[in-house]
Amino acid sequence: MSAVNIWEKMLNIDRRWIFLGIAVVSIVPFFINFGMPVVTTTEVEDIFYYMDDLGPDNAIFVSFDFAPGTQAENMPMAVAVMRHAFHNNVPVFMTANWPLHHGMMLAAMEYVFNPSTVGFYQEVPFDDWRELREADVTAKGELVEAWENQGNQLSEGALGWVFEGRDYAAMGYAPVFNLVILGMTVSIETQYPVDAHGNSTGEMPMLQEHKSLREVDMALTSSGSGACVWWVTYAREKIGLPIAFGLTAVMATDYYPYLQAGQVIGQMGGLRGAAEYEVLLAENGITPSTDKAFTGMDVQSAAHIFIILLIIMGNLAFFAGGFHKKTLLKGGR
Amino acid sequence: MKRTVPLMIVMVGGILMILQYFIPHQISQTIFAYYTDWTPIILAFALVLGVGSLTRIHSHKIRRKSKNWQYSWAVLIPLYLMPVLAHIWPGSLSGGMDSPSIFHFIFMHVQVPIQATMFSLLAFYIASAAFRAFRAKSALATVLLLSAIIVMLGQVPIGELLGKWFPQTGLWILRYPNLAAKRAIMLGVGFGMLATNLKIIFGVERNWLGGAGK
Amino acid sequence: MRKNWIGIPALMILLLLPSLSVAQGVDEILTPVAGEQLEEPDPGLDVPGIVTVLDKDNDAGDQLVVSFEPPENTAGVFAYNVYRRVAGAEGEDSWTLAEIIPVIEPTEFIDGFDPEFPIEPGVLYEYRIASATLDGEEFFGPVFEAGAVSVGEIYHTGKTRILIASLLFILLIFYYFGRAQRGIKMYMRPIAGIEAIDEAIGRATEMGKPILYVPGISSIADVATIASLTILGRVAKKIALYQTPLIVPNRDPIVFTVAEEVVKQAYLEAGRPDAYDPDSVFFLTTSQFAYVAGVNGMMMREKPATNFYLGMFYAESLLLAETGSLSGAIQIAGTDAVTQLPFFITTCDYTLIGEELYAASAYLGREPKQIGALKGQDACKGIIMGFITLALIFGIIDVVANTHILDWLRALVTSPIIE
Repeated sequence: MSAVNIWEKMLNIDRRWIFLGIAVVSIVPFFINFGMPVVTTTEVEDIFYYMDDLGPDNAIFVSFDFAPGTQAENMPMAVAVMRHAFHNNVPVFMTANWPLHHGMMLAAMEYVFNPSTVGFYQEVPFDDWRELREADVTAKGELVEAWENQGNQLSEGALGWVFEGRDYAAMGYAPVFNLVILGMTVSIETQYPVDAHGNSTGEMPMLQEHKSLREVDMALTSSGSGACVWWVTYAREKIGLPIAFGLTAVMATDYYPYLQAGQVIGQMGGLRGAAEYEVLLAENGITPSTDKAFTGMDVQSAAHIFIILLIIMGNLAFFAGGFHKKTLLKGGR
Repeated sequence: MKRTVPLMIVMVGGILMILQYFIPHQISQTIFAYYTDWTPIILAFALVLGVGSLTRIHSHKIRRKSKNWQYSWAVLIPLYLMPVLAHIWPGSLSGGMDSPSIFHFIFMHVQVPIQATMFSLLAFYIASAAFRAFRAKSALATVLLLSAIIVMLGQVPIGELLGKWFPQTGLWILRYPNLAAKRAIMLGVGFGMLATNLKIIFGVERNWLGGAGK
Repeated sequence: MRKNWIGIPALMILLLLPSLSVAQGVDEILTPVAGEQLEEPDPGLDVPGIVTVLDKDNDAGDQLVVSFEPPENTAGVFAYNVYRRVAGAEGEDSWTLAEIIPVIEPTEFIDGFDPEFPIEPGVLYEYRIASATLDGEEFFGPVFEAGAVSVGEIYHTGKTRILIASLLFILLIFYYFGRAQRGIKMYMRPIAGIEAIDEAIGRATEMGKPILYVPGISSIADVATIASLTILGRVAKKIALYQTPLIVPNRDPIVFTVAEEVVKQAYLEAGRPDAYDPDSVFFLTTSQFAYVAGVNGMMMREKPATNFYLGMFYAESLLLAETGSLSGAIQIAGTDAVTQLPFFITTCDYTLIGEELYAASAYLGREPKQIGALKGQDACKGIIMGFITLALIFGIIDVVANTHILDWLRALVTSPIIE
């Protein structure tokens, strides 16, 4: 077998071998946890410190603008910001711009409120604290005290209570979401008369205090599509609502112009962005530990190294085999 | 007539929408709200047409026993079953969308994993495409290749361990050369949109109404 | 046809007439009057002084600018509660709480954002402001009648620069429309991807295999989708002549209805309405990755000879194009989604980059007005390039000579967009 043949064989390698390689480098790091350090960037720090300054008088939107496909990247971002908000008692409105995204919103809540999650929040459904609400006990501090006086006890490991309607509102999916954003700049309640669980939003203390997007302090769009720009077009440009982007890694490069123009306060790009936010949460004692995105960074490191090796091997074979002198191998095939 | 009326609607609607941007008056806002109210209504009717089309094609396939007709059942059954489970199936028999329900179970344990799998294929395809197509064939291609490697290493912790300059240079590439290129393409796209919109509003471009015009 | 065009301006004037008449009817600003004092201020806490109310510019007549003099002594004051009611209304119930302003914040605000208590155009309001303690106890100041009613403007003065730029760009495009129609020859740079379209259709015909046309996965509101549908019209006309099977799966129901109409019409115009297969254009699903699964399945089963991916694409671009490459099809892609371009470039034979997608219709049709529009676009880009060059030069001058000319240029051409 001549040398040229080896290079040719290498170039024409069955792509299933490459697929197998990717599978191995994606699975193995899950079992050997390297825990490589993640250094934070200003793009993510800007969101974190902006969020950290907010308190019970403020409110934020977390928009679930991603489908199950990109949840590995988008979900940790939304979850991290939700947990940050709950820690600071900032009310969180949750929306979704597509029916599938609605399911992602429910999944995020399930994760944050699930006792098996390290550092979970204990949820109080809207109907369970009706009496207190009707007695006008709605300020967070008072509410927690009154609730615990009724004999309710925080579960072990829980970081705090979150009351539906006070700390969060699961608004969910509404059709033609860009127009919904536009409508919410005037009134949130007219766009969402009831939330995803059928509760009347007009009765929610957080909605009575924040009637339109003008009374909201930030919107995070965790997005797997161009829908994130709707928040800029319809909320930021119209009423000046500060927007934070949570984007998939593929999209991240596309949105730097918005960042530089000051139209968004910061952006989390892909798993890396989410991991940075998790590191900031853990370093500041907001969550007991980092979460899924941080763990995923080991996998990403391995996969990136593997792809770089593939590119080097491909080029080596291409030049060593002398294929650059021929037009034999057309790009793409 | 069949084409003139839609063209007139587009022209009047298009010009009114341009004008309303510059007119803050309540009448202008009312007209805008009126137009935007139509959008979800049109969408709802189009969805009925869409579902009708899907049903028609797959029932044809089943009736004619065309090639792979069995798969058509896999389309039609969930298409109608999921809305029934979400909205019609009684709550006492695990209906509805909230957990726990049959709909929620299927969504979380069938749709979510299937979709995640589809997206995960990207990792495999990127690797194979990078191997086959990423060649330092020319000086420009070499620059592209090197910057890709730097950005990829800069994005992951291992790059930081290899050398501090990896993430720094990676971010610099993203923040400056990348931004400049994006902006150039965005400007071109912006003017392309402007020209296309004008062509449509003023009836120069009519292909979207069907056929190649004339 | 020509007669109908007269109807358009007439229809527009009819629709705009009411707005003009309403605007003229209420365009009357009242002069501020000194407030009449209805009750003695409570001695407990110092209360705010004179309240001034002005109409807000550039609004729909639903906002007022309210400012008031803070009390001299703010000791014990936690916030100011601003109440509003329609002038002449009576009783405590007629007051609504318009705004709560913390004592440390500016004493001017825009009223009218509360969706429950909107400001009606042309209605006169009264205001009274209370100093509130931390416990919520209120000490009311005097009642003031607003000095102005809210009026909607018929032109947004903050958008003049945008108007000038829009007019300039629109006129340029029209100028080139005109030139092209007068028969002036214009050069168009050849684009390989567009020239390959005919060849790709021919290849499928020779092989007797279908052509797959993916019009992107965005909605009809996306210009890329519209551009794709115009190309579909031209492609379908050629396909109709050759009688090659066509597959057009859709993700958006509205795009589906338009695409169906486009293809049907193309077959009719090609004189082959009988060859049109109603099952060739269909709706698949609105779910992104389910759509990919469906289209990829078709590629592997039907093995189309040619795949077109023209329109707006997201993460599915590589999944589609790589599968297409695997199935051995000739692939032509085109999108303005910049992030997806690298994926298409590596896996497709030809890729239309950004605005080339919009230009494709002009290239395929070669109609003078279409070409004129392309030239107009180039002229607009020329202006922007001029400004970028100026900014670059001014930026360098600023650094070298420590001047601020770049800021001057920026202030000249940009305007804040937030209303």
